[in-house]
This record gives sequence, structure tokens and C-alpha cells, in this order.
Amino acid sequence: MTAEASTAGEAGARSPLSGLTGKWWFWAAVIVAVFAIVGLDVWGLDEDAENHKAILSFLGDGLVGFLKAVTEPVALFWLKLGFAIETSMTGLLVGVLYSLVALGFVLIYKASGMFNYSQGVMVLFAALTFVGLTEYGIPVILALVMAVGVMILFAIVVEFLILRHLVNQEQIILFMATIGLAFFLEGFGDTIWGSNVKKIPLDLPSGAMDWLTIGDWNVQVQWLDISAAATGAVMVVALAVFFNKTRIGRALRAVADDHQAALSVGINLRTIWIIVWSVAGIVALFAGIVWGAPSGVQFSLSLIALKALPVLLIGGFESIPGAIVAGLIVGFGEKIAEVSWGDSLGGGIENWFAFMLAMVFLVIRPQGLFGEKIIERV
Amino acid sequence: MTMTQQDAAAEAVPASADGEGHLAEHDATVREAHRRAIGDVMLEVDNITLRFGGVKAITDVSFNIREHEIFAIIGPNGAGKTSMLNVINGFYHPQDGTITYKGNVRQRMRPYEVAMGGIARTFQNVALFRGMSTLDNMMAGRLTKMHGAAERAFDKSLADIPVVNFLTYPFFWTADFLMDAFYWGPYQKEEERHRRRVEEIIEFLEIVDIRRTPVGRLPYGLQKRVELGRALAMDPQLLLLDEPMAGMNVEEKEDMSRFIIDVNEEFGTTMALIEHDMGVVMDISDRVVVLNYGRKLGEGTPDVVQKNQDVIDAYLGVSHDRPG
Ligand SMILES: Nc1ncnc2c1ncn2[C@@H]1O[C@H](COP(=O)(O)OP(=O)(O)OP(=O)(O)O)[C@@H](O)[C@H]1O
Ligand SMILES: [Mg+2]
Repeated sequence: MTAEASTAGEAGARSPLSGLTGKWWFWAAVIVAVFAIVGLDVWGLDEDAENHKAILSFLGDGLVGFLKAVTEPVALFWLKLGFAIETSMTGLLVGVLYSLVALGFVLIYKASGMFNYSQGVMVLFAALTFVGLTEYGIPVILALVMAVGVMILFAIVVEFLILRHLVNQEQIILFMATIGLAFFLEGFGDTIWGSNVKKIPLDLPSGAMDWLTIGDWNVQVQWLDISAAATGAVMVVALAVFFNKTRIGRALRAVADDHQAALSVGINLRTIWIIVWSVAGIVALFAGIVWGAPSGVQFSLSLIALKALPVLLIGGFESIPGAIVAGLIVGFGEKIAEVSWGDSLGGGIENWFAFMLAMVFLVIRPQGLFGEKIIERV
Repeated sequence: MTMTQQDAAAEAVPASADGEGHLAEHDATVREAHRRAIGDVMLEVDNITLRFGGVKAITDVSFNIREHEIFAIIGPNGAGKTSMLNVINGFYHPQDGTITYKGNVRQRMRPYEVAMGGIARTFQNVALFRGMSTLDNMMAGRLTKMHGAAERAFDKSLADIPVVNFLTYPFFWTADFLMDAFYWGPYQKEEERHRRRVEEIIEFLEIVDIRRTPVGRLPYGLQKRVELGRALAMDPQLLLLDEPMAGMNVEEKEDMSRFIIDVNEEFGTTMALIEHDMGVVMDISDRVVVLNYGRKLGEGTPDVVQKNQDVIDAYLGVSHDRPG
């Protein structure tokens, strides 16, 4: 397999399994096999004990035992269909927000080749600004508009003080600059707005919607989750339209593909950067409000950037559809994982599951979900 | 500032429908008869010197390019030809010398400003928007020409009032942006208008069947042609071509030569091109400037330059794939 790959000219940092792992049917086969074994194991016991024993002796107890420990909770989880649907919904709704935060990264990465470390702090700062303004008695709508204004101003300042001086620099230097920016912004927000936890002054919908009943399970979805996801979905769709359908979106894609060529057709890079950072700032503002709504705006808000990282690894740093789908995958996946394996592993899975998933994806598809296959010439 | 006369003029020119066997008829006399009369000086390059640290890429070079002409810049590798285009197009800023474009001495300009002024270019190593289709690449060439209805209204009303223009512009911009995003009435018309022009150029360059193909997948020769198309989509007054035929086979070169001549004749576009193939240069250019080690060796019609002893020496002295 490896030899074949290298004669075809695509060598390099690929996993030795890459010939198989790139094939969907391989994974389909693996999944079917695993579930077949577990299925026989779990359900076959009563009906056909002979069959079960045969498989056990065939594969050996160790492997089956392991697979059983891993897959049985998942299978049992789906048996409780009502509960499974409810959990999946919650996961997907959270996933929309992951997508949103990841999109902030993707936009900046595409337009300037910069991994914006400060994105998380921007979320915190934007939300702080909004809440801070309302605390001065400014009406919510006006405060929202003003916070958007502040984020645009922030974009202009970043372009003026940082971006224009770093044209054509190494990526690592750009990255360092954003680290500096993150620390500055954190301190700046702290100085202006204080570090106490701030409640978001919105009448949040509370309670849960009775959605449907399956068996004896009443599937409920929290209104808070629904409204957050709805806000996120509107933003995500707006961004997709912005990027794919508008004149500025076209300019943005041009810049993402080739700076020099973009300049030569009359695109002003600096304007594009300001627009992109403004958009990222507005995305941060909405993400911050939605995320901070349940527990208040506080420092931990900036850590949602950590959630975006695995989303980016799965979806690819440059892909908008990738970020959207990967956000949903992570949100969905980590909820299922938590419910399925939480007990046996002692809970807290949500904190690291996304990274595990990202690692798996890195091995299978290093270019991200929708990325073009990376072919290295040697 | 919304729609130049050039724009309108270009739109009035019908797309070339024939396109067969142009090159064959193009012996010098026929061509002269067809070609628009060469006009006044359009671009004047005066005593340009460009240094990179200690390296002098260009030393004290002067020449001028006249309206409607095809002007060739030739010279051995490393002579400073690309650097010259980069100076004209605003990528490089010379330490010395001036550039006068359409009668005005140019101040230090950024590339996008140069492009807005009507100078388009292609690159030695194809620089396309690889992820986009042919059509999108060419539409990108018209980005700076597209203006929404709100922006036009702004231009007519508030644009000249100080302070007010600054404060109100964002609202007009946002209005356009929304019309654009929702592909609403006026914006749709604007998009269609530009799309029509781009389709004309696509037909002209005979790349109709690759309109929707992402350009990254096209063969090299076609990529070069799309790049020419993108530059043409800007309806430029001056078109800079950096080795438009490099790496092409004979047939592709003939096609490209034909397109260059046709563009010059039908749109009247002034062109400055860099080319190593002396046969092509002699065939299609009106005047030639020769650079060597960043200095000007000679200038004149192809015949004159070809007989210039300095030029012959330079080409014979330097190992080169195709000495003149
Ligand atoms: N950005 C740059 N930094 C440093 N040196 C440069 C730069 N651009 C060009 N040079 C130098 O300037 C000189 C002229 O280069 P240029 O690319 O203009 O040559 P050219 O005539 O286009 O050659 P070729 O036929 O190979 O394209 C070369 O010595 C080159 O190394
Ligand atoms: Mg060159």
C-alpha cells in the first residue's frame, strides 16, 4: 500500500494506513463489523448462546471484551431512543455555536494566513463591552450597535498597528503577533470593564419545549439551547452568503487564494483585512453573548477558543463548510461520548473528547473534511 | 468615478465572432492597416533606479510607451524586466526616477491604486485564484468596476461634502452590501452587466467550455489564457504581460500571439510585454527596449534592435535558451 502510494508521487507525512483509511468503505466495513460483533454479543446471548460462544472463542475474549466495553454503552444508549434523540439534539445545538466560533478563525486565516490566537479573547472582550455598556444604562439594542462599532474600531486599529507592518512575514511571526494581541486585549478589557462576572441583561427564554414522546420518554429541548442555536445558525448562514455570494466575498476569496494577484486586479488588501477582522469581531460578539448568557460574562469565556481548535482540525483551517460541519460533529460527538462512556471513565469527557476526535481525523484526513487532498511532490 | 468612458467604449465593441486564421493574414502590412494609429505617450519611465539592499536590479532606465502600441521589454535572465513591470504596477518602489502616466507624474502608489488607474497585468508564474472557476477569476477582474446603486447615489449627492461624506458613507455601503447579499434589483442588474462583458471576453479568448472549471485543474497553457482574460476583464488602458508565452508549445504560442494582436486591434489596448522568444517579439511588437544587468542597452523598432551590436553581444555573451 505504502509503496503504491509513493510511486504515485504522494509520499510524505501520511499514515501507513492511509491507503485504506481514505476509503469510506473501509470505515463502513469496520463499523458494520464492530456492531455486528457487539450486536451478536449483546442481543444474541439469550436467543442464540451457541453463536455467541462461537464468536467469543473465535476472536478471543480480550478483543471482544474491549470492543464490548467501548461499543456496548453506545448501543444501549441508542436503545433508549427518546433519550438518545434528546441528547443528540442538545449536542447539535451546541455544535452550531462551535461552528460559529470556528468560523471567526477560518475567515481570518483565509484572508491573512494568520492563526488568530486572540479570537477567544475577542469573544470575551466583545461580550464585556456589550454588557459593560448596558451597565451604564444604555438600552440593549443601542449597546449592541455600539459594541459592533467597537469591534469594527478594533479591526481598524489592528490593521493599522499590526497587519500592515507584517505583510509577507513568516506565519509564526503573525501567530506571535496575535498572541501578543490576546494578552493586550485581555488586560485592556479588564482595565476598562473590570474583572467581575457580569450578567447578560437579556430576558432569556427558560424552560424546555416538549418536542415529542417516544415510548415513555418525553423528548425535551431547552429553549435556551434552541434560541442560542437559532442565533448561531442565522450568523452561520449569513457568513456563508457573505463569503460566497457577495462582491466583497468574492474579493475575500481572491485575497485568500493569491495576495499578489488580488492586488493586481485592484483589491485593496488593507480594506479586506479590516472587513475580515470586523466580521470576526462581530462573530465574536454574538458568540460571547450567546455563550455568556447562561453563566455570565467572565474570563472563562475566552476559553471557548479551545473548543474551536478541534473543530478547525477536523474541518480544515480554510474551509467554511468544513467549520460548519465539524462544529456539528464535535457538538454531537462529545455529548454522545459523555452520556455513553461518562460513567465508566469518570465523567468530564466533554473536555477532551473533541481533541481525541480531532486526532483521529488528523490521521485519516490531515487536510480536513472538505480539503483537497494534499499531494506532495518528491 | 463609477463608470469610466473606457467601460462604455469597451462595451460598445462587439465580441469578436470570427477568430479563425488571424495570424496567417498578419503580415506586417496588413497589421499596420488594421491597427489603431499609435498615439501620444501614455507611460513615461524616467531614470528609474531600483535597488534591493546592495543589488541594483534596475539602473537609470528610461523609455516610454505610446498609446495603442505593443511594446516589448527583452533581455537575458536577471536583466530586470520583471522588476520593471513591478515598478510600473506599484509592487516595487524605485529609489530614483519618476513615472508619468497619462501626463501626470505619479506619486508613490500602491498596486491597487495603479490597477484602478487602468493598468492590468499578468505574472511570469501564473497567479490565478486557484480555487475559483474561470468565470469567477474573470469576475474578480471586474470587482473594482462594480458599484451598487446606493454608492452611485452617494457619489452624486454627498460624496463632496466634507465630514458628512465620511459619516454617511458606511450607511450607503451597508445598503449596497445588503442589496448585494440578497441579490436584489439594482444589484442584480449591475452583476449582469459585468457578467455580460466577462462572457464577451470568454468568447473572445475561446475558453467557453472551461467557464465553470476551477482554474487549478486547467493545463498550464489555458491557465495563462485565463490570466490574460482576467486582466482583460479589467478593461485596462495599459496591459503588462510578463512572459505570456513562457513554457508553451509552438501552437499555444501562436494562439497567444494572435490573442495579443487581436486585443490590441479590437480594444486598442496598449501593451507592454516581456518575452524571451525573439521570433515572437519581432513578429508582434512595434517597439522594443533591451535591458541587460539592469541597464538599458538599446531601444527601437524590432529591426533596429536586432542589428544593434550591444544587443547581439549581450545575448551571445549570456547563456540563453534562445539567442536572438
Ligand atoms: N524582491 C527582490 N528582492 C531581492 N532581489 C530581487 C527581487 N526581485 C528581483 N531581484 C533581483 O533583481 C534582479 C532582476 O530580477 P528580475 O526578476 O527583474 O529579472 P528578469 O529580467 O525578469 O529575469 P527573468 O528573465 O529570469 O524573469 C535579479 O538579480 C533579482 O535577483
Ligand atoms: Mg522575469
